Amino acid sequence: MPYDDLRSFLDTLEKEGQLLRIPDEVLPEPDIAAAANAAGRIGEGAPALWFDRVKGFTDARIAMNVHGSWRNHALALGMPKETSPREQVEEFARRWDAFPVPPERRADAPWQENTVTGGDVDLFAVLPLFRLNDGDGGFYLDKAAVVSRDPADPDHFGKQNLGTYRMEVIGRDRLALQPVPVHDIAQHLRTAEERGEDLPVAITLGNDPVIPIVAGMPLRYDQSEYEMAGALRGAPMPIATAPHTGLDVPWGAEVVIEGVVESRVRQIEGPFGEFTGHYSGGRRMPVIRIERISYRSRPVFESLYLGMPWTECDYLVGPNTSVPLLKQLRAEFPEVRAVNAMYTHGLLVIISTAKRYGGFAKAVGMRAMTTPHGLGYVSQVILVDEDVDPFDLPQVMWAQSAKVNPREDVLVLPNLSVVELAPASQPAGVTSKMIIDATTPVAPDVRGNFGTPVKDLPETAAWAARLRTLLATR
Amino acid sequence: MTAPTASPAVCPRCSDEAVRTVAHSPVPDVWEVLQCARCLYMWRTTEPARRTSPGAYPERFRMTAEDIATALEVPAVPPLAAR
Ligand SMILES: Cc1cc2nc3c(=O)[nH]c(=O)nc-3n(C[C@H](O)[C@H](O)[C@H](O)COP(=O)(O)O)c2cc1C
Ligand SMILES: [Zn+2]
Repeated sequence: MPYDDLRSFLDTLEKEGQLLRIPDEVLPEPDIAAAANAAGRIGEGAPALWFDRVKGFTDARIAMNVHGSWRNHALALGMPKETSPREQVEEFARRWDAFPVPPERRADAPWQENTVTGGDVDLFAVLPLFRLNDGDGGFYLDKAAVVSRDPADPDHFGKQNLGTYRMEVIGRDRLALQPVPVHDIAQHLRTAEERGEDLPVAITLGNDPVIPIVAGMPLRYDQSEYEMAGALRGAPMPIATAPHTGLDVPWGAEVVIEGVVESRVRQIEGPFGEFTGHYSGGRRMPVIRIERISYRSRPVFESLYLGMPWTECDYLVGPNTSVPLLKQLRAEFPEVRAVNAMYTHGLLVIISTAKRYGGFAKAVGMRAMTTPHGLGYVSQVILVDEDVDPFDLPQVMWAQSAKVNPREDVLVLPNLSVVELAPASQPAGVTSKMIIDATTPVAPDVRGNFGTPVKDLPETAAWAARLRTLLATR
Repeated sequence: MTAPTASPAVCPRCSDEAVRTVAHSPVPDVWEVLQCARCLYMWRTTEPARRTSPGAYPERFRMTAEDIATALEVPAVPPLAAR
């Protein structure tokens, strides 16, 4: 049964022992961020955190770390909480095949209960805002989905984009926005600004648990995140029409903020502790003017901590970055078995592939760098054989240590594109990229002494089952 | 108004004096949210000194008028399309 809103998912997390209510009164800073930061430091299976006693607030309800462990990520997709990361990625890839699943338009969205407009708009009156990291320039909305349309093709449902872009609160009715140039909203904004027009946006906060997964997923420009949500949910995604902009927003959102990105305006923004484990600098970035806020009574404010990995952000963009790359590579190279793009939104990717002929694996690595997401992210690719599990890092390290002859198997390609947030890029936005081919050479690539690999004994699989049974019935 | 919510005269990050109050705590007199009009830094008066006090604010996060004026534009404003 898919979740239509955040609240029903929080109920499930609580029943599964995966939601921890913080009983004591806490300070908005540094407690909420520090607790969510700590959730990533206490080992496997961390719960979501719930705060409702926050100093100075009368009515705060804050949910953190909702996707912040493999257990919670599995539950978000309706899988048993013990499902391993690799199994979660495989099931995700299976569900992808149902794409596109058309959404279902519903009336009476709960966020229609309350509305503020014009001069009455005050984010501080609706949301219990707080800071995450010391060097952050202010308070951020960092787990919101932003909806916009292509100004040149506004009726194209697939080109309507829903994406996670962090926004800094720079006034009661103003937000600064970071559209990374390779992302869809940057394309929408560019078209609007070339025409000298504002870009209407709807920002939805506190969504059902599949929305953050599709909003942070590198889909093709014309692929609809709502139609992907339907595939992942196994049921149509419920959407509703935002009243001020007419944009399509999740029916179950806690809060819907509508306004425009002001055309051709830039204001100082940041820094912000980023997914790279480093702060962005202070840059001059686009500004959103808020014109209307709709919200459920007693709204839940959902946010996430990010900083030095791993944090919630890494769980959230692990599987959803791996699967699109797997699908895009497999479309041309059916030999590709599995893709692990869970490191820093795919700055480093591990790919397991069979080899068509000598040199093939290196070509797969180059192709990963030229996928839409690869252009801005994939900077290091490790290729492993089809019988190496890219999610099993000790196996990957074995393959690299035993199969790589550095002079021939490590390729460094200079001056390629990467997000300007990548800390090692120089100048920002340009980097060299590396392919490490840790596959076994095949003809006509006859290098090395790989003719006599030691394989698991034919009887080993049966023995593994036998050992498991003995252990379970001990 | 009680002492802890009194506004400091200067921004901890850029030392500008144009500081305004953008929000008051719903429970009266617990905190205020302040903002610098120049660098837009925003902070709550109950945050640790390393975020609120000009003396304790880390050097590496400070900003000058020069930094603001020369900050990179991301994304750059495109040329207007001829029409
Ligand atoms: C917590 C979080 C914050 C993010 N912040 C930004 C951001 O500020 N700007 C941006 O361009 N991408 C940001 N992303 C990444 C995009 O959401 C992600 O790359 C997505 O695939 C973009 O998809 P699109 O190009 O289809 O819109 C963020 C992702 C997450 C999970
Ligand atoms: Zn300042």
